Amino acid sequence: MTTAAAAPATHKLDFEDLVREHERMVFSIGYHFLHNAAAAEEVAQDVFLELFKRLGTLESPEHVTHWLRRVACHRSIDYARRNKGTAAEVSWDQLPEPAQPAGHSDLGDSDPMMSKRLQQMVAALPQKMRMVVILRYQEEAGLEEIASTMGIPLNTVKSTLHRAHAMLRAKMEQKVGKEWGETRGEVNA
Amino acid sequence: MKRIGIIIALLFAVQWPAAAQDWDPGGALKKLSAKASKAIDVTLDQSMLQFAGAFLDSKDPDQAQAKKIISNMKGIYVHSFEFEKAGEYSEDDVTPLRAPLKEPLWSRIVNVRSKHEGQNVEVYFKKEDGKFTGLVVIATEPTELTFVDIIGPINPDDFRRLGGQFGIPKVEIDQDPAGKKGETK
Amino acid sequence: MNRLENELKKALERVEPPAGFAERVLARAARVGDEKPVRSRRWLELFGFGVTGMGGLRWAAACALCVVLAASGVIYERDMQRRRGEEAKDQVMLALRITGSKLQIAEQSLKELDSGGQPQQ
Repeated sequence: MTTAAAAPATHKLDFEDLVREHERMVFSIGYHFLHNAAAAEEVAQDVFLELFKRLGTLESPEHVTHWLRRVACHRSIDYARRNKGTAAEVSWDQLPEPAQPAGHSDLGDSDPMMSKRLQQMVAALPQKMRMVVILRYQEEAGLEEIASTMGIPLNTVKSTLHRAHAMLRAKMEQKVGKEWGETRGEVNA
Repeated sequence: MKRIGIIIALLFAVQWPAAAQDWDPGGALKKLSAKASKAIDVTLDQSMLQFAGAFLDSKDPDQAQAKKIISNMKGIYVHSFEFEKAGEYSEDDVTPLRAPLKEPLWSRIVNVRSKHEGQNVEVYFKKEDGKFTGLVVIATEPTELTFVDIIGPINPDDFRRLGGQFGIPKVEIDQDPAGKKGETK
Repeated sequence: MNRLENELKKALERVEPPAGFAERVLARAARVGDEKPVRSRRWLELFGFGVTGMGGLRWAAACALCVVLAASGVIYERDMQRRRGEEAKDQVMLALRITGSKLQIAEQSLKELDSGGQPQQ
């Protein structure tokens, strides 16, 4: 087992490579969950520092990815709980109503505001639901992987994702129109 | 012909409907970044601006002014790209940046082109409920492109000061409540 | 995949962390790497020494070290916070300078127009 003290040169090189390889993933999990860049950086730094301390215990690149994802999730959730009620927390009921951009009579595929609206809506979902959505669509994780990452049962992931779709779709239908309700995809692994 | 005079009075005369202030030119910017040899990206949302504001020194004139300018802003996004040689980006790369900047929400108040230097600067203002809530500057040169997106509210006085601070000459804005037109040629 | 899911994928695309993020992480890790973990000291004490007498003094020293490390952690966090704030401040000034310089170009061009020379619109 290698530790930071035992093989500093090699350890440092591996760690730096891992930081550069995974910084977007770790930061993005925090950013989309907390909707706040400063908070996301704080969480991401803590995650990598934890990785640095535990690097010798991780066996493979896949193990590192899974470990980072899992720790990033839990640290983001912990951060949100500790900072409940701060500006970063967006309330679902108080979401600004998504307005049509002036000059656009219908939403095309290239509506530049759609992403921002959805990011806000995701940030306003309940915490566990929010993380399931982020893992599913940012990380393109399968349902079993989400269950393993978050430490929750597979059926809970399925039902949570299903409810998230319903909530997001209803919010979009409210303001954008019925086309959001036309196709209802199954929740597939 | 007048010096730079921006049609704020005229814009004040018209009430535009309120709308969301989102802006997401991400795809176009990513393409430009991929082509550029150097890129500067400054992304400051409201929380970062508030965070930074706490560290701006009120005793330093530039920083004190900056603090005032950003105090109510919701975001500043600056992307500046340098290219190895002319022709590495095209008008097709710039068009998506301008696409959403349309009437009635947005008004282009400046569009100047310098033929001999190949510089082109466009300035757009967004107006909602009688207030300025957005500023976009698109500046292009043969080997450089800069895109600035400021989400307000913006005080025209601050806009004027923006040019006057940080060692840069002032930009004049005509604020004639009588509705006299400022020339932008 | 339906439209909502497609839009969610686009909206939740990974984003770049702020400039210099990796360097800040590496700098912080370098500091951690320089410190001996407190836990290894405790294990040494448990195996090599008792809790009383010299062992007790060593325990007290270890506890004092924990307190000092915790305090330095707080100071370190404050220092990190200050550094992040300075970086954010630098970014603000840079953004405003770039914006101001482009507005200056616009003004200069219009002045030239006023005086009857280039540029043309």
